[in-house]
Amino acid sequence: MDVISNLLKILSDFVADLIRSILGFSPFLADLVTMGLAAVVLITFAALSFMGLTYVERKVVARIQDRVGPNQAGPFGLLQPLADGIKMFTKEDTTPASADRWVYNLAPLVIAVFALASFAVIPLAPGVVGTDLNVGVFYLLAIGSGSIIAILMAGWGSNNKYALLGAFRTVAQLVGYEVPMLLNIIAVVLIAGSMSLIDIINHQTLADGNPGIPHIVYLPLAALVFLISGIAETARSPFDLLEAESEIVAGFHVEYSGMKFALFFLGEYVNALAVSLVFTVLFLGGYAGPILPPYVWMLLKAAVVIFIFMWLRGTLPRVRIDQMHALNWKFLVPMSTVNLILVMIAVKLFPTSEAAARAFGGILVTPAAQALILFTLNIIVLLVSLSLASRAARKQRLAEAELLERRRAANMAAVAP
Amino acid sequence: MRTDFAFVGVMLVTAALLMGVTLIAASFLRPKKPNKAKLDTYECGMTTVGDTWVQFRVQYYVLALVFVLFDIEAILLFPIAVAFNSLTLFAVLNVVLFIIVLLIALLYAWRKGALEWE
Amino acid sequence: MTIQQVVFAVLAVAVIGAALFVVTTGNLFRGALMLILVFFGMAGFYVLLDNGLFAVAQVMIYIGAISILIIFAVMLTRGMQAMIPRNAQATGAAVAAAALFVAIFLAFGPLRLTVDFSAVPVLSALFRTETARTLGDVPWQYANQPVPETYIADFGRALVNINQYLLPFLLIAFLVDAVLAGAVHLARQRKPAELIAERREIAEEEAEEAAALRGAASPEPLPQGAMAATTTQDH
Repeated sequence: MDVISNLLKILSDFVADLIRSILGFSPFLADLVTMGLAAVVLITFAALSFMGLTYVERKVVARIQDRVGPNQAGPFGLLQPLADGIKMFTKEDTTPASADRWVYNLAPLVIAVFALASFAVIPLAPGVVGTDLNVGVFYLLAIGSGSIIAILMAGWGSNNKYALLGAFRTVAQLVGYEVPMLLNIIAVVLIAGSMSLIDIINHQTLADGNPGIPHIVYLPLAALVFLISGIAETARSPFDLLEAESEIVAGFHVEYSGMKFALFFLGEYVNALAVSLVFTVLFLGGYAGPILPPYVWMLLKAAVVIFIFMWLRGTLPRVRIDQMHALNWKFLVPMSTVNLILVMIAVKLFPTSEAAARAFGGILVTPAAQALILFTLNIIVLLVSLSLASRAARKQRLAEAELLERRRAANMAAVAP
Repeated sequence: MRTDFAFVGVMLVTAALLMGVTLIAASFLRPKKPNKAKLDTYECGMTTVGDTWVQFRVQYYVLALVFVLFDIEAILLFPIAVAFNSLTLFAVLNVVLFIIVLLIALLYAWRKGALEWE
Repeated sequence: MTIQQVVFAVLAVAVIGAALFVVTTGNLFRGALMLILVFFGMAGFYVLLDNGLFAVAQVMIYIGAISILIIFAVMLTRGMQAMIPRNAQATGAAVAAAALFVAIFLAFGPLRLTVDFSAVPVLSALFRTETARTLGDVPWQYANQPVPETYIADFGRALVNINQYLLPFLLIAFLVDAVLAGAVHLARQRKPAELIAERREIAEEEAEEAAALRGAASPEPLPQGAMAATTTQDH
């Protein structure tokens, strides 16, 4: 076994053994301490990534928009996150006099806790995972509902019209975009045959540990929709309607300042990080990769996904609320549903395992052949949906133009003597 | 399985403790000089008028209901997806029927204008 | 006491406390939040029962969807700040709940008081079995069996098995359809004429009610919203 490629695993095993030998008198206590330590490590990892991400994001978006970005604190502005942290930490923190104190103060805690809890199941390297739940992806989706509740708490607790309006908008967006996400994760689970994140990675890995066919080849459409809904779920640009400054100031966290605001920010970035890691696991083969150690591959792939997020943020304008809802309910959801149905039938007709072939005849094919079939199917569904949508959009535009023309004619007629 | 979830519990408690400690530590370090204007509800300098907890449009409720519909679909489809390899074609066709029935509900809501957002 | 019993006790206390808060509070939003805590505790019970799937489904459906539906519905009501948390049925409901609790405790608690079904006329008619059934002595089929590793796939297979749950599975889809159709109908955009007629109807009803009230004893004054409009001050 290569020491470098298993560095994380060796380290964690060593620490676990150490704790077990020190607390040998009580296995329960040893387990508890080990788990607590693992949780602290994961939370620290998430918090440090959050600090790093704020810096990288500001730099990248600045470069895209032909600016310099942070460059004052330390070399290349590298100490900027630290400076931000100190500022947040020592900033005065007010609770509005008319707020619902308990609800107002608990909301940032709830959002941070539920965002961090998603890291409990995400595998970072072989054998390095908080816990391998057999309902892994399902757990991730469920834990996401915690942040929705926290947003409602913040909106309500602030006793501010902007905050409440922002919270409602955000929640409508988050629950809406959870639907296409669910549908496409079902497609992935269907192919992998398990909800455990490790099993899903294993399905994209060959028996000898080398990377196999990643799910993005099987389900390009699902990957695309997952990416879009992931951006919407983390409320990032172009779906950052909750922060539409010109309309509702800063959305549900308008009343928050200091450390409480920082926790909302942390929740946002940790969620974005979690979504990119989950995308890596579900569609890009997770930590599987040649030459480099697995944890490097995992972080590298996630970094690419996060870079795409930043790229989109730097280039795209914000969508309108009606466009946001229409894109979801009238395009992504029907398309994903149809895609899921077709994938179900295709996987049943062209199974890759003996057991599946035994359950129903079907034509036994290799994974590569199945991937090819599903890929073609996905692309066809995407093209058909796009052409239907563009036709509907053209029709709508024409109708609007006609209405405008008729109105103008009526106005002219009224003005004419 | 209980032991698998034990870590989730530990994670939730640890995260709550760590985040709670940062909040409390910050409360010792930061200045605290409240005054009436500072504690006022923020509304771009205007004074708030009336009750904040106004009534909301019923559309939010309908959207949440459509979401519940798909949520229920999803939690039933997840175990089926896990068992998918051992299902017969008849079972799969029934699942497809299930999805289509729900899709019809979405199309109905669409047709009736419940998905429009003005 | 094992660790599982400790966790169970903590969850039970939290759930009962939160549930009591829900039924006694006058603030609908806080009540909804505490209801979420109850749901979360229920998910914990599923974990203790070794069924992670149901625990996660509980969180997803009840916290992620139903609670949001409840909160949205709360937002559609007026005066949610200071509801009166009791009505004419409160006492009866409390008595019924207490009686049910006592009955369950006697039957399944440490006493294991047994009631022979065949001796009670109504119960013997309801539970017509070959052998005399005794309450508190239920032959739980799966009581001491461990949950199999493959329970998720088993559940999935059972859902689409024609001899097991296929019919309920398909019925769920139709039920949800009906619910959605109802909601869409209620929330539809009304035509102005329709709206005017509806408003007139409501106004008439309210006038009737007011007349009836004037005839009866003067009603208890409703408490005003706890939150007054925020302080007026120039910046």
